[in-house]
Amino acid sequence: MVYNTAIGILQNTEDAEDVAQEVFVQVYESIKSFKAESKFSTWLYRITVSKALDHLRRKKRKKRFAYVQSLFGANSETIIEKPDFNHPGIKLDNKERAALLFKAIGQLPENQKIAFTLHKLEGLSYQEISEVMKTSVSSVESLMHRAKNNLKKWLTRHYENDD
Amino acid sequence: MKLKKQIELDVDQTLASLDAVSRVVPEPYFFTRVMARLNKGEKGFWGSALVFLSRPVIAFATIIIAICANAFIYFQSSNDSSKSSTQGEQLFATEYNLSDNTIYDSTTEPE
Repeated sequence: MVYNTAIGILQNTEDAEDVAQEVFVQVYESIKSFKAESKFSTWLYRITVSKALDHLRRKKRKKRFAYVQSLFGANSETIIEKPDFNHPGIKLDNKERAALLFKAIGQLPENQKIAFTLHKLEGLSYQEISEVMKTSVSSVESLMHRAKNNLKKWLTRHYENDD
Repeated sequence: MKLKKQIELDVDQTLASLDAVSRVVPEPYFFTRVMARLNKGEKGFWGSALVFLSRPVIAFATIIIAICANAFIYFQSSNDSSKSSTQGEQLFATEYNLSDNTIYDSTTEPE
């Protein structure tokens, strides 16, 4: 559940494993602060989503800083990013389409990405997603609607330019 | 050029590619690595304090505060010493009538 969610958001197996470890360490350290106001799984999803987003933001900052460093001629390690993400849980005949879809998901704003990933990969209902994201069900519906529209636009543009 | 319908079909099929996704499991020995991380993370109060102080932002801020405090004390004390030395000079000059330029300025009568 934790690893599956992390891999869907981060689209990288090594990063997902790092984040999953951090989540379990965090749960171990802060289990006393869990007040059982929500389900344990909801709490776990919240921590996972938060850690995954932090990791993504750190990665973006690192990339930006490395770019600025390169302008000043400082030697910095090459940050290699894999071009396509192949989710291990996708069947072979869908791999190419799924890789394209993940690329499109990566372009979504954070909230839409979280809602879409939790719904599609984790199979959570809108009610459950609203508890994880601490928002209303109607907000989740709106996020999903906007996410699907954005994905359709991105994919349409891709297929049109593909000719 | 692809037909619009073909593009729509491609987009729908791509959106549906995640429908049959199966759950992923982590690599082997994941639990061992988590336990190792938990055991590594156990440190006492002083360890946590050292870790906190060694963060670059905290370290730089402490150094800058120390330098500013030193500079403030230095300039404060040099101002005080220059004021007190001026006062001492004036007292010395008054006692030995050094401010008197001519004999007519002198208040004491020559013996």
